Amino acid sequence: MRDRVLILSVFVVASCGLAYELIAGALASYLLGDTVLQFSSIIGCYLFAMGVGSHLSRYVKDEDALARFIDVELLVGIVGGLSATILFSIFAWASTPFRTVLYALVFLIGVLVGMEIPLVMRVLYGRKAELREMVSRVLTFDYLGALAVSLLFPLVLAPRLGMSRTALVFGLLNAGVALFTAQVFGKELHGKRGIRLRGTAVAVVLIAGLAFSSQLTHWAEQSVFGDQIIHAETTPYQRMVVTRWQDDLRLYLNGNLQFSTRDEHRYHEALVHPAMQSLPGARSVLVLGGGDGLAVRELLKYPKLEHITLVDLDPAMTKLFSTSETLTAINQHSLTNPRVKVINADAGQWLETDTGSYDAIIIDLPDPSNFALGKLYSVPMYRLVSKHLAEHGYVVVQSTSPYFAPHAFWCVVATLKEAGFYTWPYHANVPSFGEWGYVLAGKHDSFTQPDHYDVPLRFLDASSTREMFHFPSDMVAPEVEPNRLNNQSLVHYFEQDWHRVIR
Amino acid sequence: MPGMAEGHILRDGLRDAAKLPSPSGELECDVAIFGSGVAGMTAAWRLAKAGRRNILVIAGPEPDGNAAGASMAGQACPSGAHYLPLPSMESRHVREMLADVGVIISDPFGHRPEFDERILVHAQQERLLRAGKWHEDLLPDEASTTQERSEHQRFLRYVEQLKTATGNDGKRAFAIPIALSSQDAQWRALDRLNFRDWLTREGYRSAPLHWYANYACRDDYGTSYEHTSAYAGLHYFASRAGEARNAEPGAVLTWPDGLQGMMRALRSKIGFGAHLDNSTAPRQMTGFAASIQIRNKAVDALVVQPASGTASLRTLRVRARHAICAMPLHVAAHVVEDMRGYGFDPATHLPQSAPWMIANFLMRRFPEERAAAQLAWDNVIYEGKGLGYVVATHQLIRVAKPEHAVFTAYNALSDRSPQDSRRWLETASPAQLLERAAGDMHLAYEQLWPYVERVDITLRGHAMASPAPGYLNNKGLLALREVDGPLQFAHSDMSGYSVFEEAAWWGEMAARRLL
Ligand SMILES: Cc1cc2nc3c(=O)[nH]c(=O)nc-3n(C[C@H](O)[C@H](O)[C@H](O)COP(=O)(O)OP(=O)(O)OC[C@H]3O[C@@H](n4cnc5c(N)ncnc54)[C@H](O)[C@@H]3O)c2cc1C
Repeated sequence: MRDRVLILSVFVVASCGLAYELIAGALASYLLGDTVLQFSSIIGCYLFAMGVGSHLSRYVKDEDALARFIDVELLVGIVGGLSATILFSIFAWASTPFRTVLYALVFLIGVLVGMEIPLVMRVLYGRKAELREMVSRVLTFDYLGALAVSLLFPLVLAPRLGMSRTALVFGLLNAGVALFTAQVFGKELHGKRGIRLRGTAVAVVLIAGLAFSSQLTHWAEQSVFGDQIIHAETTPYQRMVVTRWQDDLRLYLNGNLQFSTRDEHRYHEALVHPAMQSLPGARSVLVLGGGDGLAVRELLKYPKLEHITLVDLDPAMTKLFSTSETLTAINQHSLTNPRVKVINADAGQWLETDTGSYDAIIIDLPDPSNFALGKLYSVPMYRLVSKHLAEHGYVVVQSTSPYFAPHAFWCVVATLKEAGFYTWPYHANVPSFGEWGYVLAGKHDSFTQPDHYDVPLRFLDASSTREMFHFPSDMVAPEVEPNRLNNQSLVHYFEQDWHRVIR
Repeated sequence: MPGMAEGHILRDGLRDAAKLPSPSGELECDVAIFGSGVAGMTAAWRLAKAGRRNILVIAGPEPDGNAAGASMAGQACPSGAHYLPLPSMESRHVREMLADVGVIISDPFGHRPEFDERILVHAQQERLLRAGKWHEDLLPDEASTTQERSEHQRFLRYVEQLKTATGNDGKRAFAIPIALSSQDAQWRALDRLNFRDWLTREGYRSAPLHWYANYACRDDYGTSYEHTSAYAGLHYFASRAGEARNAEPGAVLTWPDGLQGMMRALRSKIGFGAHLDNSTAPRQMTGFAASIQIRNKAVDALVVQPASGTASLRTLRVRARHAICAMPLHVAAHVVEDMRGYGFDPATHLPQSAPWMIANFLMRRFPEERAAAQLAWDNVIYEGKGLGYVVATHQLIRVAKPEHAVFTAYNALSDRSPQDSRRWLETASPAQLLERAAGDMHLAYEQLWPYVERVDITLRGHAMASPAPGYLNNKGLLALREVDGPLQFAHSDMSGYSVFEEAAWWGEMAARRLL
């Protein structure tokens, strides 16, 4: 009976071992692209590490074999179980060298897994099993376990549980094997209580991981990396990730969704056309941010427009969206259009030195999630913008969600007013963002909502425009302070508002 | 050490004119101003604003004095004063000046003027590192016991009340400029004990509060709180009652190069002319006064222009109908003939002066913050030896961190007597100075040196007058404030402590007497 328990452990242990390998390989190819290379090198590293583990197992004394086996199980359980979670977190928060951690983890797990089978065999051998019989049974179950996981993983586990949770579940299995073995072989072990204690601790950590992983998974996996990654790059300014799932292409900056090709036309039409339709004589437009070239694509629909100047901080971003075939297909090569001038600079700094005057200024900057970004939504910044705006012109500012972040949204309105602008806030439904907000502003008091559009559009028309400028009673403006550099109220509003939404 | 060579020359007897070449020229003017610090520049500004043209400023060893700045790798940074609190109602002269240079945009004399937000310090203004964690407040509630918290609240409530407290003459008990404060003996009695004893007497025992009070004294006066008058200690908290329409109470004004930004604006308002012999615009010349005397009801001074480049040392005679002596009093004591005649006896009336060290660290990239904390403008270390460091790039409207930044670390050398500290400054090796300068930043960052490209250290042996108990009744200072005649005095020293508003006040007073 006891020997059968050990043989059964082999089955479980083998499936866990393969699971970690698969998870690491899948994660690497998800996150880094280049599947063949990632899988081969992960498997190579893992197998080599297993060899190292087998070699190390010889230093375990015969009488300790069982106890060390249990230790190894607990270790694999915790390291392997948390591996995917650790890797996701590191990847999402960038700066740490992801690859180094990846291979270190794979190697460590490999070494531990490599020790398992030799140790089990020695325990059995020490219990006078017949060598021929024992080797055959152990290896049979070893390979059977592998087979089970290799089928379960792609068909059930990965799609249903996701990477983090799959790893955590296998970690629990390892811990279970340790505890169960300790239970069954109790008499032959010293320090059973210690083992139980450690085993329980590992299990608790993993279960806690499972409890939280739904959040983490939701945030990191499903929402960010559930899809295939076709480009990932860390620039000095941000982390850019482009994903694809069927015909849906998405861009994430620092983990925040920037657009999805499913509905970005809504976002960009709403951003550009209410202002542009009202400026039939517009000759030159300034775009701050918007390095994806999508707002520019909309602007290029106006043949009279002679100069479009786009100022985006990150050269890597504008380069990617000027050269990548997939991405230029989306922005219709807008960034390389001769009417467009792309400048890589810090918006505030650039405005301080630029002397141009523009008929429209489109501000499509990242949300004000920290003090540095908050400065770009401040009274002095808008005064500076005002200096560059023609007397008859309009400014449009993407202003986060009036539904989810009402204080932040209306704070942008109040800030523009404080800087001397007249404002016309509006909002549009962009499914992948939810209800999204914009503020149109001008130096004079006249703006009429367009009742038609002269350029071909998919989303905007007379009636959707009317709705955009109407704020129903669940979106009324709260009392807010303008965003002054001295207190950066906007950054606080933004944090508080979104904190209420995402728990 | 700006001014040290010149100062020691004067102290060691340059006045025995035998050592100097005879004057190689003579300049005449309506008003001569000796010193180009805040006091001197304010006087020049006021006179120029009133239409006076024939003004000659003799810069002295350091243009801008203690409000000077520097530049490292193209980044402006302070080498002296760094900020101005929102001006109090009494500081009309400062408000007028700020409005004149465009920092106050509207309602300069109202309760809540509107300020240029680029000059108002941006969030986050300050933070405190205590027990390995950054807090947003210098007296963080979250790091205090209940007992301490209630003491902090009591203290802060009390000083808040003091902001509006008045004496029996109807004047504010603690006003800036200090000369406009109430003369009520009840308040002035606070000048008899030191600030630490006052706190103890009032039953304050909280260690963080004592640290904070001591920090405030070191930061503003260069002396520890047991050497600071309790009146001055409370004055620090109670006098700064200024408000702004577009900033929170307690906000401050700052430029990347500290108050040099203000001086620059002031200079351009004064409109200095290029040529020394063109008296249709105010003029400024290099050099320092070696002697100032009254001859035939006019001022007669000998100015030394040290050798520079190919020019060798020379002297000039300056004759002026009026003059303003805007240099530190310990220098004036050696330069002005017969100071005792003005009621000021240097032997007894010179205030103690505190030595300071200002270190500018040119940083490449930004050091890694603990737990992804955000850098503030002023970064203070609890129980640190220094006074923390300010960040010169803080006011830039930038998303990306600039390639270079300058962190300016302030140290008031108040841990020994001023004399011992000055001696230490003169003899310390560069490595010792650097160790002291970097002390606070070492506590803030695990890794500092990999980020540091260069360090420039400015030593100010006599940086500021310190308000020791009894300073309110310094008869010599009171006498100088009243001096009227061909020669006037204007310097922050005359307030017995040193801030921009005080220096500006005496410049303003001197100029007004001439108008
Ligand atoms: C490190 C430090 C930090 C500070 N921080 C602040 C702050 O944040 N906020 C604030 O309000 N205040 C601050 N202060 C105080 C503030 O800098 C001073 O109050 C102010 O600059 C003093 O100006 P002043 O005109 O009275 O004198 P000084 O600055 O001493 O100017 C004296 C002038 O006289 C000239 N001079 C000297 N000898 C002669 C001579 N023989 N002939 C002619 N000219 C001569 C000098 O060149 C100089 O220009 C700080 C001071 C220091 C030292």
